[in-house]
Amino acid sequence: MSISTFNGIQTSLRGLLAQQRSLDVTSHNIANASTVGYTRQSAELVASPAMLVPTSGGANAGNLGTGVDVQTYKRVRDQFLDLQYRAQNMSLGEQTARSGALQDVELSFAEPGDTGIANALDKFWSAWGDLSNSADSGPARQAVIDQARTLTGQINDLQKNLAAARQRAADEYTQTAGAGGEINQMATDLTATLNAIRSAEKTGAQPNDLYDRRDLLLDKLSEMGQVSVTPSAAGNVDVSLGGVLIVDSDDTTGAASVPAGAFPLSYTTSPGGRLGALLDLQSSTGPIASYQTDLASFAQALASSVNGIYSATGTTFFTFGTGASDLPEIALNEPAINVATLSGGIGGPSDNSIALGVTALAGGAADSGYRQLVTRMGNEVAQANRQQATAQTLTDNLSGRRDSVSGVSLDEEMTNIIRFQRAYQASARAMSTTDEMLDTLINRAGRVGL
Amino acid sequence: MSTRITSSMMTRSLLSDINDVANRQDATRRQMSSGKQITKPSDDPYATARAMSLRTDLAGIKQHERNVQEAQSWMTVTDTTLSSITDLAQHARELVVQGATDTLPQTSRNAIADQIDQIVAGMKQEANSTYDGRYVLAGSRTNTKPYDATVQTTSAGTTPDDTYLGDAASQLREIGPGVTLSVNARGDEVLGGSPGASGNMLGVLRDIATHLRAGDTQSLGNDDIKALDGQIDNVLAIHARIGAGMNRLETASSRLAQIEESATSMLSNTEDADMAKVLTDYSTQQAVYQSALQAGARIVQTSLLDFLR
Repeated sequence: MSISTFNGIQTSLRGLLAQQRSLDVTSHNIANASTVGYTRQSAELVASPAMLVPTSGGANAGNLGTGVDVQTYKRVRDQFLDLQYRAQNMSLGEQTARSGALQDVELSFAEPGDTGIANALDKFWSAWGDLSNSADSGPARQAVIDQARTLTGQINDLQKNLAAARQRAADEYTQTAGAGGEINQMATDLTATLNAIRSAEKTGAQPNDLYDRRDLLLDKLSEMGQVSVTPSAAGNVDVSLGGVLIVDSDDTTGAASVPAGAFPLSYTTSPGGRLGALLDLQSSTGPIASYQTDLASFAQALASSVNGIYSATGTTFFTFGTGASDLPEIALNEPAINVATLSGGIGGPSDNSIALGVTALAGGAADSGYRQLVTRMGNEVAQANRQQATAQTLTDNLSGRRDSVSGVSLDEEMTNIIRFQRAYQASARAMSTTDEMLDTLINRAGRVGL
Repeated sequence: MSTRITSSMMTRSLLSDINDVANRQDATRRQMSSGKQITKPSDDPYATARAMSLRTDLAGIKQHERNVQEAQSWMTVTDTTLSSITDLAQHARELVVQGATDTLPQTSRNAIADQIDQIVAGMKQEANSTYDGRYVLAGSRTNTKPYDATVQTTSAGTTPDDTYLGDAASQLREIGPGVTLSVNARGDEVLGGSPGASGNMLGVLRDIATHLRAGDTQSLGNDDIKALDGQIDNVLAIHARIGAGMNRLETASSRLAQIEESATSMLSNTEDADMAKVLTDYSTQQAVYQSALQAGARIVQTSLLDFLR
């Protein structure tokens, strides 16, 4: 078979087109250099099918190249890094929610300092000490009553603050995981994206930018909990969060949808991530609830130790029980205890046996119970902060590794621009060279004698 | 193969580094402005517990210091009272010696008996001394005068009432953890209380006055003077007890001052920031922060674009 005279022009044209496509992809990359979730793309060039040409080699026909084709627009991404990133991001979501909430709790303790319960307790004991010096003094009695009110007020306030912290976690969980909440929104977006990908793929297309959108949504979901993506029968995927299906693909049609009744999400085992942390924070077995329990036992120990001494007068000093808001509450036994009835002793007006007894409780079991609570809470907050910092570092590291593979490097794109531009110029030159050759053939050949 | 570095990686790591430095600087700034190295329990949970415990100790020490001061004032009043009572008793003794002289005319003995009555009234007056509005010799019934000046009227005529109206309670003050000290002397142990009973200061002096008026120089010279000496010894013994208590308070006071100082310095070591170190750290961090920002400004600006035309 012979070769067309114009074959060279066609080859050059393929080169021009391919370089132009490559330049287009480069422009797309540069345009999306700072788009969140964007994966860099590259035009994969391959040599176009060769032609068999007779050669002097006889039976062994030669292959004449016909130029270049764009085989595919490749999306440069490492799926394995995606899985690692999502696992780490889940841990980061959990630790961030946890350490954030615990830091709030820590602030409500206001320790160490002049405004915390420890200080109020010191002042309470001192007021009893002053009463022991002048048991018949009205101002000294008033001071004991005032300090007792301050102390019980602070303990009850802290108890309320802790309950409020748990309620905040519960509210945040409802807002995030409820019907119409953030996760529901993401699941809806994800179904739309998956369906768009599916219809594009049916036409044989490769919707790179839709893949980016899908992966970005999965990244965001991974902060909330354990994400798993499993292929479904008809070629689409199912997505579950913490074991609960939030995107279900039909086994015959492959159409993805949010299963009815999936929201509000509810879990029997921790879904991990932010949701897991929120569930733990609000739980009656969680860290905040354990602070409440310890605070209540401190208050109870305080009330019963003081009452143990004071009951010699025939009445109790503190009352301890469940308050109006269903929380443990310690209070001064008013109106039974007032300036007139408060006694430092049971003998004469200056008998201070009870005041001395109460003073001897200072720095005892009640104080150390509260101190242990603060130490434990401090340790747990410090630990949560450390874990959060570690998770942040690891997530940043994985983000970096993903960026290293998929991110746009402007230096690289600029280099590519030069490369493609030069190749384009060279192809154009090859075409004009062929053109000049044909000019010789068509306009100059066979004109002898004309 | 070397890692492919992309623009977003550079900005991300730059941001995270700058954020890191800024965070550390913020922590140092907090230490600088608060002067504390622990501002919340998670900064150092164990140091927090130690600081809280030291604060409680310190509050206890200060309370004990206040108790000691209070006890000192109380005992000083008691001390003065006992001195006056001793002086009065000594004066009474001189009068008894004088009255026991057989040659003295009865009119003079009657005059001495009147003086003894005045001494008894004076002693009761002294025993009613107060500190901060409280009768110090009344046990725990500090709002009641231990001795009443009113006159008891009986069928035999009118006699002054020497009844002790206080109670037998001790006044205890806590001067250290679990350490209490009795700070009071009671009227009934110093002067006695049951009306007409002998064997106490007031009874002895009343007897003496009776004997003086009756001219019973025999009793005056022997039993009465002995009984009075015994009562004076009793007051001196109580006075010595109060003196010993005041010495204990003195010792307790200086010991409390010492442990307050050491607890304060321990609290400061635990809680307070080392300013020299904090300031040095801060300027180092500031230098690091600035160079990070500068480096960032240069790195982010430069790319191949700057060199292509």
